[in-house]
Amino acid sequence: MSESKVVKDLMIGIFEYPHIPYWFSINQAIRIIKVSFISTKKYPEPMAILVFDEKYNLMGTLTLKDILKGLEPKFLKPSTKAQVPEENESGLSIIWDTLFDKSAKEMAEKPVSEIMVTAKYFVEPDDPITKAAYMMVHHDLVLIPVLENKKKFVGLVRMVEIFDELSNAIMKE
Amino acid sequence: MELINREDHQKLYMQLYEILKKKIESKEWTIGFQIPTEQELCEMFNVSRATVRTAIIELVRQGYLKRQQGKGTFICKNIITEGLTMITNLKEPMLEEGGSFSLNTLARTVMMPVDDLHLLLDIPNDKHIIYIKRIWSSGNKPVILQEVCIPYHICPFLLEEDIENNSLFELFERKYGIKITNVKNFMEIAYLTPDEARILGQSDNSAAFVLKQQFYSGETLIMYSRSIKGHNRFHFYIEFERKAA
Repeated sequence: MSESKVVKDLMIGIFEYPHIPYWFSINQAIRIIKVSFISTKKYPEPMAILVFDEKYNLMGTLTLKDILKGLEPKFLKPSTKAQVPEENESGLSIIWDTLFDKSAKEMAEKPVSEIMVTAKYFVEPDDPITKAAYMMVHHDLVLIPVLENKKKFVGLVRMVEIFDELSNAIMKE
Repeated sequence: MELINREDHQKLYMQLYEILKKKIESKEWTIGFQIPTEQELCEMFNVSRATVRTAIIELVRQGYLKRQQGKGTFICKNIITEGLTMITNLKEPMLEEGGSFSLNTLARTVMMPVDDLHLLLDIPNDKHIIYIKRIWSSGNKPVILQEVCIPYHICPFLLEEDIENNSLFELFERKYGIKITNVKNFMEIAYLTPDEARILGQSDNSAAFVLKQQFYSGETLIMYSRSIKGHNRFHFYIEFERKAA
Protein backbone atom coordinates (compact mmCIF):
# COMPACT_ATOMS: atom_id res chain seq x y z
CA MET A 1 0.00 0.00 0.00
CA SER A 2 1.11 3.53 -0.59
CA GLU A 3 1.59 4.37 3.03
CA SER A 4 3.86 7.28 2.33
CA LYS A 5 1.22 9.26 0.47
CA VAL A 6 -0.63 11.83 2.51
CA VAL A 7 -3.67 13.96 1.87
CA LYS A 8 -1.73 17.02 0.72
CA ASP A 9 -0.19 14.99 -2.13
CA LEU A 10 -3.61 14.44 -3.62
CA MET A 11 -5.65 17.41 -2.56
CA ILE A 12 -7.04 19.88 -5.05
CA GLY A 13 -7.51 23.61 -4.60
CA ILE A 14 -10.74 24.94 -3.17
CA PHE A 15 -11.25 27.23 -6.16
CA GLU A 16 -11.80 24.21 -8.38
CA TYR A 17 -15.35 24.37 -7.06
CA PRO A 18 -17.92 27.19 -6.99
CA HIS A 19 -18.44 28.95 -3.65
CA ILE A 20 -21.70 30.34 -2.33
CA PRO A 21 -22.88 31.78 0.97
CA TYR A 22 -25.55 29.90 2.94
CA TRP A 23 -28.21 32.53 2.30
CA PHE A 24 -28.28 31.94 -1.46
CA SER A 25 -31.53 30.42 -2.63
CA ILE A 26 -31.69 26.98 -4.22
CA ASN A 27 -32.62 28.83 -7.39
CA GLN A 28 -29.39 30.79 -7.34
CA ALA A 29 -27.44 27.61 -6.66
CA ILE A 30 -29.08 25.95 -9.67
CA ARG A 31 -28.08 28.84 -11.89
CA ILE A 32 -24.50 28.57 -10.65
CA ILE A 33 -24.46 24.85 -11.41
CA LYS A 34 -25.71 25.55 -14.91
CA VAL A 35 -23.11 28.25 -15.53
CA SER A 36 -20.16 26.50 -13.91
CA PHE A 37 -20.76 22.94 -15.06
CA ILE A 38 -23.57 22.28 -17.44
CA SER A 39 -23.30 25.08 -20.00
CA THR A 40 -19.51 24.73 -20.20
CA LYS A 41 -19.77 20.93 -20.25
CA LYS A 42 -17.36 20.62 -17.38
CA TYR A 43 -18.50 17.66 -15.38
CA PRO A 44 -16.14 17.24 -12.46
CA GLU A 45 -16.71 14.24 -10.25
CA PRO A 46 -18.44 15.08 -7.99
CA MET A 47 -20.34 18.08 -9.29
CA ALA A 48 -20.60 20.08 -6.12
CA ILE A 49 -20.83 23.57 -4.70
CA LEU A 50 -19.17 24.65 -1.46
CA VAL A 51 -21.33 26.56 1.01
CA PHE A 52 -19.72 29.10 3.35
CA ASP A 53 -20.84 31.27 6.25
CA GLU A 54 -20.44 35.05 6.46
CA LYS A 55 -16.94 34.65 7.88
CA TYR A 56 -15.86 32.40 5.04
CA ASN A 57 -15.89 29.20 7.05
CA LEU A 58 -16.97 26.11 5.17
CA MET A 59 -20.44 25.02 6.25
CA GLY A 60 -21.29 22.28 3.84
CA THR A 61 -21.50 20.94 0.32
CA LEU A 62 -24.28 20.80 -2.18
CA THR A 63 -24.49 18.26 -4.99
CA LEU A 64 -27.02 17.82 -7.77
CA LYS A 65 -28.59 15.05 -5.75
CA ASP A 66 -28.98 17.27 -2.68
CA ILE A 67 -30.77 19.87 -4.78
CA LEU A 68 -33.21 17.40 -6.33
CA LYS A 69 -33.82 15.91 -2.93
CA GLY A 70 -34.40 19.36 -1.47
CA LEU A 71 -36.89 20.32 -4.14
CA GLU A 72 -39.07 17.30 -3.76
CA PRO A 73 -39.94 16.36 -0.23
CA LYS A 74 -41.40 13.03 -1.31
CA PHE A 75 -37.88 11.95 -2.12
CA LEU A 76 -37.10 12.39 1.52
CA LYS A 77 -39.06 9.29 2.36
CA PRO A 78 -36.34 6.71 2.02
CA SER A 79 -37.06 3.38 0.43
CA THR A 80 -36.21 0.52 2.69
CA LYS A 81 -34.25 -1.46 0.14
CA ALA A 82 -31.93 0.07 -2.37
CA GLN A 83 -32.39 -0.93 -6.03
CA VAL A 84 -35.81 -2.42 -5.47
CA PRO A 85 -38.64 -0.75 -7.34
CA GLU A 86 -41.46 -0.24 -4.94
CA GLU A 87 -43.91 1.79 -6.97
CA ASN A 88 -46.68 -0.74 -6.70
CA GLU A 89 -46.46 -1.36 -3.01
CA SER A 90 -46.20 2.22 -1.86
CA GLY A 91 -48.29 3.95 -4.46
CA LEU A 92 -45.22 5.81 -5.72
CA SER A 93 -46.42 5.45 -9.31
CA ILE A 94 -48.99 8.13 -8.59
CA ILE A 95 -46.45 10.30 -6.89
CA TRP A 96 -44.14 10.27 -9.94
CA ASP A 97 -46.65 12.45 -11.73
CA THR A 98 -46.63 15.05 -9.02
CA LEU A 99 -42.88 15.27 -8.56
CA PHE A 100 -41.36 18.64 -9.30
CA ASP A 101 -44.64 20.41 -9.72
CA LYS A 102 -45.24 23.97 -8.68
CA SER A 103 -44.47 23.30 -5.05
CA ALA A 104 -40.92 22.63 -6.19
CA LYS A 105 -40.80 26.19 -7.52
CA GLU A 106 -41.69 27.49 -4.11
CA MET A 107 -39.13 25.22 -2.52
CA ALA A 108 -36.47 26.66 -4.81
CA GLU A 109 -36.77 29.96 -2.95
CA LYS A 110 -35.48 28.33 0.23
CA PRO A 111 -31.90 29.02 1.29
CA VAL A 112 -29.34 26.37 0.44
CA SER A 113 -28.49 26.01 4.12
CA GLU A 114 -31.67 23.98 4.49
CA ILE A 115 -30.68 21.33 2.00
CA MET A 116 -26.88 21.23 2.01
CA VAL A 117 -24.93 18.39 3.55
CA THR A 118 -23.24 19.84 6.62
CA ALA A 119 -19.48 19.48 6.67
CA LYS A 120 -18.79 17.28 9.68
CA TYR A 121 -15.79 15.24 8.65
CA PHE A 122 -12.40 16.71 7.84
CA VAL A 123 -8.85 15.59 7.22
CA GLU A 124 -5.53 17.33 7.82
CA PRO A 125 -2.92 17.81 5.05
CA ASP A 126 -0.58 15.30 6.68
CA ASP A 127 -3.19 12.61 7.29
CA PRO A 128 -2.65 9.36 5.36
CA ILE A 129 -4.91 8.98 2.33
CA THR A 130 -6.25 5.74 3.74
CA LYS A 131 -7.92 7.82 6.43
CA ALA A 132 -9.62 9.92 3.76
CA ALA A 133 -10.66 6.74 1.93
CA TYR A 134 -12.08 5.28 5.12
CA MET A 135 -14.13 8.40 5.82
CA MET A 136 -15.48 8.56 2.30
CA VAL A 137 -16.62 5.00 2.34
CA HIS A 138 -18.04 4.89 5.84
CA HIS A 139 -19.68 8.32 5.92
CA ASP A 140 -20.83 8.25 2.31
CA LEU A 141 -18.97 11.43 1.33
CA VAL A 142 -18.16 12.70 -2.14
CA LEU A 143 -15.62 15.27 -1.04
CA ILE A 144 -13.66 15.77 2.15
CA PRO A 145 -12.44 19.24 3.13
CA VAL A 146 -8.83 19.50 4.21
CA LEU A 147 -8.28 21.74 7.21
CA GLU A 148 -4.91 22.97 8.40
CA ASN A 149 -4.62 22.93 12.20
CA LYS A 150 -8.33 22.12 12.37
CA LYS A 151 -9.15 25.62 11.19
CA LYS A 152 -7.94 26.87 7.85
CA PHE A 153 -9.68 25.35 4.82
CA VAL A 154 -6.87 24.65 2.37
CA GLY A 155 -8.12 22.04 -0.06
CA LEU A 156 -10.34 19.11 -0.95
CA VAL A 157 -9.85 15.43 -1.52
CA ARG A 158 -12.08 13.56 -3.91
CA MET A 159 -12.87 9.93 -4.45
CA VAL A 160 -11.31 9.86 -7.92
CA GLU A 161 -7.79 10.78 -6.78
CA ILE A 162 -8.01 8.54 -3.73
CA PHE A 163 -9.23 5.65 -5.85
CA ASP A 164 -6.53 6.18 -8.43
CA GLU A 165 -3.76 6.28 -5.87
CA LEU A 166 -4.93 3.30 -3.87
CA SER A 167 -5.65 1.22 -6.96
CA ASN A 168 -2.21 1.97 -8.39
CA ALA A 169 -0.70 0.53 -5.29
CA ILE A 170 -2.83 -2.58 -5.58
CA MET A 171 -2.03 -3.11 -9.26
CA LYS A 172 1.68 -2.86 -8.59
CA GLU A 173 1.73 -5.59 -5.97
CA MET B 1 -14.21 42.50 -38.90
CA GLU B 2 -13.83 40.89 -35.50
CA LEU B 3 -15.97 37.79 -35.15
CA ILE B 4 -17.38 35.76 -32.32
CA ASN B 5 -15.03 33.05 -31.17
CA ARG B 6 -17.05 29.94 -30.37
CA GLU B 7 -14.11 28.20 -28.73
CA ASP B 8 -14.04 30.93 -26.11
CA HIS B 9 -15.90 30.04 -22.91
CA GLN B 10 -17.00 33.63 -22.47
CA LYS B 11 -20.71 33.99 -23.14
CA LEU B 12 -21.56 34.90 -26.71
CA TYR B 13 -23.40 38.06 -25.74
CA MET B 14 -20.39 39.25 -23.69
CA GLN B 15 -18.19 38.74 -26.74
CA LEU B 16 -20.66 40.59 -28.93
CA TYR B 17 -20.91 43.35 -26.32
CA GLU B 18 -17.13 43.75 -26.40
CA ILE B 19 -17.00 43.78 -30.20
CA LEU B 20 -19.72 46.43 -30.48
CA LYS B 21 -18.21 48.47 -27.65
CA LYS B 22 -14.89 48.49 -29.50
CA LYS B 23 -16.59 49.78 -32.64
CA ILE B 24 -17.98 52.69 -30.63
CA GLU B 25 -14.81 53.44 -28.68
CA SER B 26 -12.63 53.32 -31.77
CA LYS B 27 -15.12 55.69 -33.44
CA GLU B 28 -15.77 53.22 -36.25
CA TRP B 29 -19.35 53.94 -35.25
CA THR B 30 -19.61 57.62 -34.44
CA ILE B 31 -22.09 59.59 -32.31
CA GLY B 32 -25.57 59.58 -33.81
CA PHE B 33 -24.81 56.58 -36.05
CA GLN B 34 -27.71 54.18 -36.37
CA ILE B 35 -26.48 50.68 -35.69
CA PRO B 36 -27.66 47.70 -37.81
CA THR B 37 -30.99 46.14 -36.83
CA GLU B 38 -31.13 43.11 -34.54
CA GLN B 39 -31.78 40.90 -37.54
CA GLU B 40 -28.78 42.30 -39.43
CA LEU B 41 -26.55 41.83 -36.38
CA CYS B 42 -27.74 38.22 -36.05
CA GLU B 43 -26.63 37.58 -39.62
CA MET B 44 -23.37 39.53 -39.34
CA PHE B 45 -22.21 37.58 -36.29
CA ASN B 46 -24.16 34.37 -36.81
CA VAL B 47 -25.74 34.49 -33.37
CA SER B 48 -29.28 34.29 -32.04
CA ARG B 49 -31.58 37.23 -31.56
CA ALA B 50 -31.47 36.74 -27.79
CA THR B 51 -27.68 37.14 -27.85
CA VAL B 52 -27.91 40.34 -29.88
CA ARG B 53 -30.64 41.72 -27.67
CA THR B 54 -28.75 41.05 -24.43
CA ALA B 55 -25.58 42.68 -25.79
CA ILE B 56 -27.57 45.75 -26.89
CA ILE B 57 -29.40 46.05 -23.58
CA GLU B 58 -26.06 46.06 -21.82
CA LEU B 59 -24.68 48.77 -24.14
CA VAL B 60 -27.81 50.84 -23.50
CA ARG B 61 -27.37 50.37 -19.78
CA GLN B 62 -23.75 51.43 -19.96
CA GLY B 63 -24.74 54.56 -21.85
CA TYR B 64 -23.19 53.68 -25.23
CA LEU B 65 -26.46 53.23 -27.09
CA LYS B 66 -29.88 54.80 -27.07
CA ARG B 67 -33.01 53.12 -28.36
CA GLN B 68 -35.63 55.23 -30.05
CA GLN B 69 -39.03 53.66 -30.37
CA GLY B 70 -39.88 53.02 -34.00
CA LYS B 71 -36.64 54.54 -35.29
CA GLY B 72 -33.81 52.30 -34.24
CA THR B 73 -30.78 52.19 -31.99
CA PHE B 74 -28.21 54.97 -32.09
CA ILE B 75 -24.78 55.69 -30.68
CA CYS B 76 -25.16 58.04 -27.72
CA LYS B 77 -23.51 61.29 -27.21
CA ASN B 78 -21.05 60.49 -24.47
CA ILE B 79 -21.88 63.06 -21.85
CA ILE B 80 -18.89 62.32 -19.67
CA THR B 81 -16.28 63.16 -22.24
CA GLU B 82 -18.12 66.21 -23.50
CA GLY B 83 -18.50 67.80 -20.10
CA LEU B 84 -15.97 69.22 -17.72
CA THR B 85 -13.56 66.66 -16.40
CA MET B 86 -13.65 66.97 -12.68
CA ILE B 87 -11.60 65.42 -9.97
CA THR B 88 -13.05 64.48 -6.65
CA ASN B 89 -11.58 63.15 -3.45
CA LEU B 90 -12.32 59.50 -3.10
CA LYS B 91 -13.78 58.73 0.30
CA GLU B 92 -16.01 56.13 1.71
CA PRO B 93 -19.46 56.62 0.26
CA MET B 94 -21.89 59.35 1.15
CA LEU B 95 -20.70 60.10 4.65
CA GLU B 96 -21.18 63.69 5.63
CA GLU B 97 -18.18 65.61 6.85
CA GLY B 98 -17.72 65.93 10.56
CA GLY B 99 -19.75 62.92 11.66
CA SER B 100 -18.22 60.04 13.50
CA PHE B 101 -19.11 56.67 12.12
CA SER B 102 -18.45 53.14 13.16
CA LEU B 103 -18.08 50.37 10.66
CA ASN B 104 -19.19 46.77 11.14
CA THR B 105 -18.56 43.92 8.79
CA LEU B 106 -21.65 41.75 8.45
CA ALA B 107 -20.15 39.34 5.95
CA ARG B 108 -16.87 38.69 4.21
CA THR B 109 -16.87 35.60 2.11
CA VAL B 110 -16.29 34.23 -1.39
CA MET B 111 -19.08 33.48 -3.82
CA MET B 112 -19.97 33.15 -7.47
CA PRO B 113 -21.47 36.13 -9.27
CA VAL B 114 -25.27 35.87 -9.47
CA ASP B 115 -27.80 37.82 -11.52
CA ASP B 116 -25.84 40.36 -13.56
CA LEU B 117 -22.94 40.81 -11.14
CA HIS B 118 -20.49 39.33 -13.64
CA LEU B 119 -21.47 42.05 -16.10
CA LEU B 120 -21.01 44.75 -13.49
CA LEU B 121 -17.58 43.34 -12.69
CA ASP B 122 -16.72 42.53 -16.29
CA ILE B 123 -15.70 38.93 -15.53
CA PRO B 124 -16.89 35.53 -16.79
CA ASN B 125 -19.81 34.27 -14.70
CA ASP B 126 -17.93 31.24 -13.39
CA LYS B 127 -15.19 33.23 -11.64
CA HIS B 128 -15.10 33.60 -7.86
CA ILE B 129 -15.60 36.98 -6.21
CA ILE B 130 -14.94 38.34 -2.75
CA TYR B 131 -18.16 39.62 -1.21
CA ILE B 132 -18.17 42.09 1.66
CA LYS B 133 -21.29 43.40 3.36
CA ARG B 134 -20.91 46.11 5.96
CA ILE B 135 -22.78 48.77 7.77
CA TRP B 136 -21.84 52.27 8.84
CA SER B 137 -23.53 53.53 11.96
CA SER B 138 -23.66 56.92 13.57
CA GLY B 139 -24.10 56.51 17.29
CA ASN B 140 -26.22 53.39 17.40
CA LYS B 141 -28.15 54.23 14.29
CA PRO B 142 -27.39 52.36 11.10
CA VAL B 143 -26.82 54.81 8.24
CA ILE B 144 -25.42 53.09 5.18
CA LEU B 145 -25.49 49.49 4.13
CA GLN B 146 -22.79 48.65 1.63
CA GLU B 147 -22.10 45.56 -0.43
CA VAL B 148 -18.73 45.31 -2.12
CA CYS B 149 -17.72 42.78 -4.78
CA ILE B 150 -14.16 42.26 -5.94
CA PRO B 151 -13.01 39.62 -8.43
CA TYR B 152 -11.07 37.14 -6.31
CA HIS B 153 -7.99 37.21 -8.55
CA ILE B 154 -7.61 40.99 -8.11
CA CYS B 155 -6.76 40.78 -4.43
CA PRO B 156 -6.99 37.33 -2.80
CA PHE B 157 -5.30 38.62 0.36
CA LEU B 158 -8.20 40.90 1.12
CA LEU B 159 -9.84 38.02 2.96
CA GLU B 160 -7.18 38.19 5.64
CA GLU B 161 -7.03 41.97 6.05
CA ASP B 162 -8.44 44.12 8.82
CA ILE B 163 -11.03 45.93 6.78
CA GLU B 164 -12.77 47.60 9.70
CA ASN B 165 -9.82 49.79 10.62
CA ASN B 166 -8.34 50.25 7.15
CA SER B 167 -10.08 51.74 4.18
CA LEU B 168 -10.38 49.42 1.21
CA PHE B 169 -8.95 52.13 -1.03
CA GLU B 170 -5.89 52.49 1.16
CA LEU B 171 -5.32 48.76 1.30
CA PHE B 172 -5.54 48.57 -2.47
CA GLU B 173 -3.23 51.48 -3.09
CA ARG B 174 -0.68 51.32 -0.29
CA LYS B 175 -0.40 47.61 0.34
CA TYR B 176 -1.14 46.02 -2.99
CA GLY B 177 -0.14 48.78 -5.38
CA ILE B 178 -3.53 48.75 -7.09
CA LYS B 179 -4.21 52.35 -7.92
CA ILE B 180 -7.81 53.36 -8.42
CA THR B 181 -7.87 55.65 -11.41
CA ASN B 182 -11.51 55.98 -12.33
CA VAL B 183 -14.89 55.60 -10.65
CA LYS B 184 -18.22 55.37 -12.40
CA ASN B 185 -21.16 56.36 -10.21
CA PHE B 186 -24.78 55.43 -10.81
CA MET B 187 -27.43 56.79 -8.50
CA GLU B 188 -31.01 55.70 -8.13
CA ILE B 189 -33.95 55.47 -5.78
CA ALA B 190 -34.93 51.94 -4.87
CA TYR B 191 -37.17 50.14 -2.42
CA LEU B 192 -35.63 48.29 0.45
CA THR B 193 -35.87 44.52 0.58
CA PRO B 194 -37.09 43.14 3.92
CA ASP B 195 -33.54 42.18 4.80
CA GLU B 196 -32.11 45.61 3.97
CA ALA B 197 -34.94 47.33 5.83
CA ARG B 198 -34.25 45.26 8.91
CA ILE B 199 -30.55 46.09 8.89
CA LEU B 200 -31.16 49.79 8.30
CA GLY B 201 -33.96 49.97 10.87
CA GLN B 202 -36.51 51.11 8.29
CA SER B 203 -39.89 49.80 7.38
CA ASP B 204 -40.21 47.23 4.61
CA ASN B 205 -40.39 48.51 1.09
CA SER B 206 -39.54 52.09 2.04
CA ALA B 207 -37.62 54.17 -0.46
CA ALA B 208 -33.88 54.47 -0.21
CA PHE B 209 -31.08 56.16 -2.04
CA VAL B 210 -28.71 53.80 -3.84
CA LEU B 211 -25.24 54.60 -5.08
CA LYS B 212 -23.65 52.01 -7.36
CA GLN B 213 -19.98 52.43 -8.13
CA GLN B 214 -17.57 50.72 -10.47
CA PHE B 215 -13.92 51.25 -9.58
CA TYR B 216 -11.26 50.95 -12.22
CA SER B 217 -7.53 50.65 -12.15
CA GLY B 218 -6.61 51.73 -15.66
CA GLU B 219 -8.77 49.57 -17.92
CA THR B 220 -9.41 46.90 -15.31
CA LEU B 221 -12.57 46.88 -13.27
CA ILE B 222 -11.42 46.01 -9.78
CA MET B 223 -14.47 46.56 -7.60
CA TYR B 224 -18.19 47.11 -7.67
CA SER B 225 -20.02 48.53 -4.71
CA ARG B 226 -23.65 49.19 -3.91
CA SER B 227 -24.38 51.52 -1.02
CA ILE B 228 -27.88 52.08 0.33
CA LYS B 229 -28.92 54.95 2.48
CA GLY B 230 -32.30 55.13 4.22
CA HIS B 231 -34.81 57.74 3.06
CA ASN B 232 -34.59 59.87 6.17
CA ARG B 233 -30.94 60.57 5.50
CA PHE B 234 -31.07 61.91 2.04
CA HIS B 235 -28.48 64.62 2.14
CA PHE B 236 -25.12 63.66 0.82
CA TYR B 237 -22.12 65.58 -0.27
CA ILE B 238 -19.78 65.30 -3.21
CA GLU B 239 -17.23 67.95 -3.95
CA PHE B 240 -15.94 68.32 -7.48
CA GLU B 241 -12.85 70.22 -8.33
CA ARG B 242 -11.96 71.39 -11.80
CA LYS B 243 -9.02 69.41 -13.07
CA ALA B 244 -5.94 71.55 -13.66
CA ALA B 245 -5.62 72.23 -17.38
